Amino acid sequence: MIKFQNVQKKYDNGYVALKDINLTIDQGEYVAVIGLSGAGKSTLLRCVNRMHDISTGSLLVNDVEVSKLKGSEIRNLRRGIGMIFQSFNLVNRISSLKNVLVSFVPDMPMWRKVLGLYTKQQKIEALEALDRMNILDKAFIRVDQLSGGQQQRVALARTLAQKPSIILADEPVASLDPITAKQVMTDFQRINKEMNMTVIINIHHVDLALEYATRIVGIRSGEIVYDGPASEVTDEILDHIYNGKLEEELTGN
Amino acid sequence: MNMLKAKSITLPNGKIVPFKRSKAPWIILALLICFYYSVQITGFDLQILTKRIGQFWVIIGDMIPPNWNYLNKLWQPLFDTIKMSLLGSLLGSVFALPLAYFASSNIGKNQFVVTATKFILSLLRTLPTLVAALIATFIFGIGTMAGTVAIFLFTIAYVGKLLYEQIENADLKAFEAMQSMGHSTFSAFRYAIMPQIMPNYLSNSIFCFEGNVRYAAILGYVGAGGIGLLLNESLGWRNYANVGMILLLLAVAVFIIENASEYLRKKLL
Amino acid sequence: MNTVEKQLLNEPKRIVQNVITAVIVIVFLMWSLTAVDLSNFTSNGVDIAKNILHGIVTPNTDLLFTFNTNGVPYLLLETMAIAFLGTIVGAILAIPLAFLSASNIVPKPIAFIIRLLLIFVRTIPAIVYGLMFIRVTGPGPFAGVLTMALTSIGMLSKLFVDIIEDLEVNILESLESIGCTTFEKIRYGIIPQLSAMFLSVAIYRFDMNLRDAAILGLVGAGGIGAPLIFAMNGYKWSEVGSILIGLMVLILLIEFFSNKIRNKIVRG
Ligand SMILES: Nc1ncnc2c1ncn2[C@@H]1O[C@H](COP(=O)(O)OP(=O)(O)OP(=O)(O)O)[C@@H](O)[C@H]1O
Ligand SMILES: [Mg+2]
Repeated sequence: MIKFQNVQKKYDNGYVALKDINLTIDQGEYVAVIGLSGAGKSTLLRCVNRMHDISTGSLLVNDVEVSKLKGSEIRNLRRGIGMIFQSFNLVNRISSLKNVLVSFVPDMPMWRKVLGLYTKQQKIEALEALDRMNILDKAFIRVDQLSGGQQQRVALARTLAQKPSIILADEPVASLDPITAKQVMTDFQRINKEMNMTVIINIHHVDLALEYATRIVGIRSGEIVYDGPASEVTDEILDHIYNGKLEEELTGN
Repeated sequence: MNMLKAKSITLPNGKIVPFKRSKAPWIILALLICFYYSVQITGFDLQILTKRIGQFWVIIGDMIPPNWNYLNKLWQPLFDTIKMSLLGSLLGSVFALPLAYFASSNIGKNQFVVTATKFILSLLRTLPTLVAALIATFIFGIGTMAGTVAIFLFTIAYVGKLLYEQIENADLKAFEAMQSMGHSTFSAFRYAIMPQIMPNYLSNSIFCFEGNVRYAAILGYVGAGGIGLLLNESLGWRNYANVGMILLLLAVAVFIIENASEYLRKKLL
Repeated sequence: MNTVEKQLLNEPKRIVQNVITAVIVIVFLMWSLTAVDLSNFTSNGVDIAKNILHGIVTPNTDLLFTFNTNGVPYLLLETMAIAFLGTIVGAILAIPLAFLSASNIVPKPIAFIIRLLLIFVRTIPAIVYGLMFIRVTGPGPFAGVLTMALTSIGMLSKLFVDIIEDLEVNILESLESIGCTTFEKIRYGIIPQLSAMFLSVAIYRFDMNLRDAAILGLVGAGGIGAPLIFAMNGYKWSEVGSILIGLMVLILLIEFFSNKIRNKIVRG
């Protein structure tokens, strides 16, 4: 369970990117976060695994107060949370399999870490993760020779191998074509259902968000302006999330 | 509008296009002044050069034909030269890696460590290798050990600088992803940055080794071992046929090493 | 056996390759380790090291701030002049040699012969050139300039060739299509492409020449090298200190500015 309570995030330059966020997400939910560019979606996501620190308020992940963690505790938290990026963030020069294997590294003894020696068991697990994403046949191909969609699946396989309970995905389909984007969204759906993982996705394609996610969180200039089931999102609500500023200005004048 | 800063042209349709004034004439003027004073200071004189250039060939003439009998005395010193370059380059490259890690501003979190390491690398780089070698002969005695130390220091500085520049220009996306899954900075570096920099790192090290072989010949001159010692000796006795033999052997060795290294580096990249 | 295990068997095995590489590296390492000879190392060495360090951190300030021809400032100026002229002469000579050894400009055999010649030019150590030029000019900075020029040619022409072989030739075609003569093609099609890069490489070499200037001192070809080596051979470590400090500060300054200028030149 993830629980934001009165969370505020102020960047070092004084910009307040999140204002008084209250949000509870239960284990196994599939949540899409939508909103304009600069609304604070990435910031929200990155607070969950402490890639960013929150300024005030409290943020509980599985009953642990995230802002109080230090050093190796942060790394332990992150072990349990998978993160997916728009640009995949794979190591380009090495094979898909090796990219997936990297997710075992933090738990390996030092000498294995330095030499990069993996056990057979780890290799099998990594291959299984690739198999689950249907790209087992690309296991020994360098990732820079894969298409964008295939690369995103390797990234997903890497995250799966990490066996997280939560997956944070920051615009995972933004650089994919519509068909591949749907496939990747289906992948998320499958992982979410089969493995009961919490999935939180930042996404700009409203149609995809409504089609695949079960819950929608709308953010506007650092505030949550909608939070409810995907099935109840109407055009007025979308207008409110995306054009709220315009609306406010019009009514204000 | 400030007329001093820029010229501008008004187009027929009334738009004004500003032009940057070219700095080229000033640069050329500065270069000419430098040139003039350099000629004055160094006593450069084309007339002397054209008149007496014949003397240049005298020594070369004496070198040909080289003294082939001298060859069998040269193998051991030649191998010494190669050995000290190899060892110095190998160890230097290995030690450059941790230094570059600490000197990279995008990896290191401690600004003080980053600046201090960079400063040490700069100092090492400005220390003339010849001076390092000479000092090393005072400490380690005449011989290849002194040359190895000098080459070691130079290699750290050279490879280390190229390496940290590369790390600073590396793609940090995968690094970030690894941090997000709980890697420590070191392990994220090992798995995300190392694969990116490895081919270039090896290539630079090999290139440095190649240059070091050539330089090692000079190091011998100050007593730092290898074939340079014999070169110094032969030059001292004005035995130019021997010098010719040494140079020929050195050229062949460098040619072979250069080609082998080029082959290796092409394979790496 | 399921598909995953089958795929695992397909893993490209690099073991043989890795073992061979490791063995080669270890053999070379052992071989080169035979060069390590600490028998000449005496306890004296530590004392000497201490003396050297002490001298270098307590430099002879008189020498550092004397403005006659024996003082560090003048010697540095002379060194810069040698490096500057040496670079210019070397660069001018390197240009035709580079064109003659570029395989996209001249026939392959000619390019090969010139390249071979350049390897010889590069292999001959600076000391030997120094001695040869001293016969021509007598000892002094003039010989230093010529030596620097010759040692610069090797690297400059090699880098120039790389630039020439990267030349964008489509431009020449389009120039030809507007009716340009060969001279005009070179003037407007080639020179603009080359000049910035050549200049950048030459500045880089100037930087290197300054570092190598100490070598010239070995044969009496001017610059700061000779006093430096005299001081070292005479164990006058505080003089060594002042000369080294002057040289290092100069090199750092020049490096700083040359990086700036090169960035400006290349990025426009
Ligand atoms: N490191 C930072 N320092 C200061 N301000 C930042 C920083 N990162 C983001 N911001 C600001 O915080 C606000 C929210 O940024 P965020 O990246 O969360 O937006 P987003 O909703 O993810 O936008 P997009 O859809 O374009 O990715 C923006 O106004 C941005 O300028
Ligand atoms: Mg974002």
